[in-house]
Amino acid sequence: MASSVLLPGVSNLSVKVHPVVLLSICDAYIRRKEHQDRVIGTLLGVVVDNVIEVKNCYVVPHNESSDQVLVDLNHHKTMFDMLQKVAPHEVIVGWFATGADLYNSDPLIQEFYNKESTHPVHLVVDTTLKDNKFSIKAYLSRPLAFGDKQLATEFVQLPCDTIVSDIERVGAELMLTGLNDPSPESKRETANKSFSDEGETLQGSMARLADLVARASDYVQNVVDAMMVTYLSDLLRAHVALAERLGTAALPIM
Amino acid sequence: MAAALAEGGAPKAKELVKTVQLEGQVLLKIMQHCSDPQHQLASGALLGLDVGQQLEVTDCFAMPASLAEDQAEAVDTVVEDYQTAMLRALREVNVDNNLVGWYQSASMGIFQTVELVETFNSYLDNIKKCVAIIYDPQRSSRGSLAVRAVRLKESFIELFREQKCTVKGLRDANLSWRDIFVDLPIKIRNSNLVQAVVADLVPPPTATQADVDRLNLSFAPFLERNIQSLMECVDDIVAEQHKVTSYHKAVARQQQLYASWLAKRRQDNQLLAQEGKELLPEEDPSQFKPIPEPSILDHYLVTAQMASFCDQINAASSEAIQKLFLMEGMQKAQI
Repeated sequence: MASSVLLPGVSNLSVKVHPVVLLSICDAYIRRKEHQDRVIGTLLGVVVDNVIEVKNCYVVPHNESSDQVLVDLNHHKTMFDMLQKVAPHEVIVGWFATGADLYNSDPLIQEFYNKESTHPVHLVVDTTLKDNKFSIKAYLSRPLAFGDKQLATEFVQLPCDTIVSDIERVGAELMLTGLNDPSPESKRETANKSFSDEGETLQGSMARLADLVARASDYVQNVVDAMMVTYLSDLLRAHVALAERLGTAALPIM
Repeated sequence: MAAALAEGGAPKAKELVKTVQLEGQVLLKIMQHCSDPQHQLASGALLGLDVGQQLEVTDCFAMPASLAEDQAEAVDTVVEDYQTAMLRALREVNVDNNLVGWYQSASMGIFQTVELVETFNSYLDNIKKCVAIIYDPQRSSRGSLAVRAVRLKESFIELFREQKCTVKGLRDANLSWRDIFVDLPIKIRNSNLVQAVVADLVPPPTATQADVDRLNLSFAPFLERNIQSLMECVDDIVAEQHKVTSYHKAVARQQQLYASWLAKRRQDNQLLAQEGKELLPEEDPSQFKPIPEPSILDHYLVTAQMASFCDQINAASSEAIQKLFLMEGMQKAQI
């Protein structure tokens, strides 16, 4: 990316978001106040080797009009202090906002988070489901300055992905069962199902394993085929070279 | 008037929680918090609403573990302060700020302790319908989700409050060890938006470490640990049994002493009567205080714990047998 070249030190930063954060954000969005356009909040997580792992988040009440934005800093501070007691290793890594696009007030909020973290990430979670798709985008800001005069803030997009740990996957899969079945009864039934139903999960694992084996054997088959072709062609070439050296074209091929 | 009021209020108070409905984010938050290796024993508060027989848990927050270790006396107030501060903060962002219980991690499913009963008791002062969600990180890492929702049985709570957890008290109330905890079925519910998100997050169908763990044929280590815990439980039971026996011995000895003392006193009194003097009382409460009967609550709890170990072992073995049959089938298919 051309833009990343201009950001020394952060060029290969990427963002990984745990699903629990997304679920919390969605819940916060549903619980937003009346007439409120979007919700914003702080993201907590850890930074390891240029990967920003977002593990937790909390909503910060705010109020915005066309030209100004009021963020409840008190709330932000108390929540952060309290969550620090539970997980002292998690630091502020940025902030999130719901909505499909960037807002005009975003630079102001970004400016605030600049004081809280070295490279605050701005995560935009699209809760409007534009194009019938759920999407998350992560941005990093950099100032656009002319001489000493600060003109504007530019947001640069970062690669952003969700990361599902094994244990979270178990939970997510549980939530998914019954989703593919459209009848409302089935949904209710799956919800009632016992959690320790081993048979079903075992079946899923088995199916995935079988799939994996099939793919591996497919791959091996392909490799073997390709190797065989290469081998035969090399053999042929060797024979031709040999025939050339011996000055006879009548050398039997095999 | 008072009776009428009580009658009116009774059905409401009697309405018990039958099911627990968890929001997806609560489940994930609990899993994340309890699976964090930094927390040995993680716990937190559950927020939500009770709607008739169903308890809807819509949010939760973690309690700091370090608080419990710092100062033993001030813990209660510190925890309470933390809780109120968090509730106040959450109310500002429209989260249900109604405490409905708590969650905690329990490795190997060990949770039936007196402490849990006491915690329940203190919670019940404020929350009538209180549940605890027990999450077992060890079993969950084996590829299955080990979550339980429990509450105390109401008849047991009454007995516990009156401190009548003795053999007689429990027998009179007709309570067995099965009647301490009630397991509640858990439902998972997500808002439509979250459901859309989860559907979009569908993990790619590749085999993961969890699958490998799940297909692992050896369950000996798990079984071993379970049986070890079971043995410890049996030891506990024996110790408890010992307490009861020594109590009975002490009572018998006291009765014997009392009988001999009474005989002597009667003799003395007979003499005194012959001399026409005032009789001595035939009862001496200072000398023969009734020995307090030991609570057999521990007994019951250990038994309940053993029962849950056995359930775990049963589940694990049937799972292992399933896998072995699966293996057999695969072997045959290959030949």
